[in-house]
Amino acid sequence: MTDFHPQVKQLLDGEVTLADLPPELRAEGEEALRLLAAVDREPVTFPALDTRVIEELRRRRSKAPSLWRRLVAPREVRLRVRPWTLVPALAMAAALVVLLSRPESTPAAATVTVRFVLFAPEAQEVALAGTFNQWDQAATPLVRTGAPGVWSATLTLPVGQHQYAFVVDGARWVADPGAPAVDDGFGRRNSVLSL
Amino acid sequence: MKTFGAALLLALVAGSLAAQQDVTARLAGRVSPDIAALVQQLATSAAERGLPVDPLIQKAIEGSAKGVPADRVATALRALSGQLDAAAAALVQAGGAQPDTDAIAAGAFALNAGLDKQNVTALALAGRPANNVAATLRVASTLAAMGVPADEVVELVTQVIASGGSTHEVLGLPAQVMAGVSRGRGVTPAQAAAGLARAAAARAGAPGQNKPKGKP
Repeated sequence: MTDFHPQVKQLLDGEVTLADLPPELRAEGEEALRLLAAVDREPVTFPALDTRVIEELRRRRSKAPSLWRRLVAPREVRLRVRPWTLVPALAMAAALVVLLSRPESTPAAATVTVRFVLFAPEAQEVALAGTFNQWDQAATPLVRTGAPGVWSATLTLPVGQHQYAFVVDGARWVADPGAPAVDDGFGRRNSVLSL
Repeated sequence: MKTFGAALLLALVAGSLAAQQDVTARLAGRVSPDIAALVQQLATSAAERGLPVDPLIQKAIEGSAKGVPADRVATALRALSGQLDAAAAALVQAGGAQPDTDAIAAGAFALNAGLDKQNVTALALAGRPANNVAATLRVASTLAAMGVPADEVVELVTQVIASGGSTHEVLGLPAQVMAGVSRGRGVTPAQAAAGLARAAAARAGAPGQNKPKGKP
């Protein structure tokens, strides 16, 4: 590789002209410019590759229906928003979020008061856990009634279907013997209450 | 128009994030991180298919509250996800509008209680349009949970609706079956249900009209 004088390199970089070079370097400068002009500036192409790529693209395009192609074709989307439009947009977005994030079960309001009773004479404590209290065994403790061994709790529940079980002494899950029951998916039974 | 587009875009993004945060918030401190991640994944997928996510959240919390091992909770969650899909398909089979999440949840519960997809479709057809499909399915699953065979459940509910029974009457069927069991000596829930179905058929003037094939 030819090692040009730094000033000749400046010439090649376009920083100086041939006239700016000292006389003793002009010949070297001219030679450098001649070599540079000889370089093939044409883009490198691989005709066979181009042809194959274009043919493949055509083949794929011809397979897909045009509507589908239009739907799935990636395209650039530019959203230009004037700052003042963000205020109503945010307000509308907030309203939509509130509407969309409402609870799933719509029929509201109607409730029924239910008394749960369990006969568990050996129990030290009994609780009720179910879909109505997020299966939280601390949420709904039963209390002893006047009758020996009888525990009870009274709840007001929304109309609908509920699953539940009694939790005896914080560890034993017991289905309500007085209610229908279904498999809980874990090898036990959940009681069912339809209101 | 641009404002509305921007609002819709923001709402969709915010709504999606809010829904994910809602699931995360409900599970926080109640289930293990692995189960929370699985529920998040199943719930996102379910919501995209128009399925309810609440049963999945409830089942995860229930499993953890009961001290069930995580792998078993995961199995139950996947099974429930399958039931939600099956219930939605059964309701779509019945025709009409896209089923709402309430009906799908009730259908999945009915499948868990022992009914099959054909039963769910039949009950959805019977329940429309006068009766609430979700309520009809809840009654059916309660009857099944009481021990009434699936075919008898469908027979009873469809006969009562065909005879002009109101939603209120349909909702009262489990109590009526229970009363029938309590009144008669040795009467099973199936027998009590069959008796009520015969009475409804007689009232409709079309005895046995909806009897399932192969039934006496």
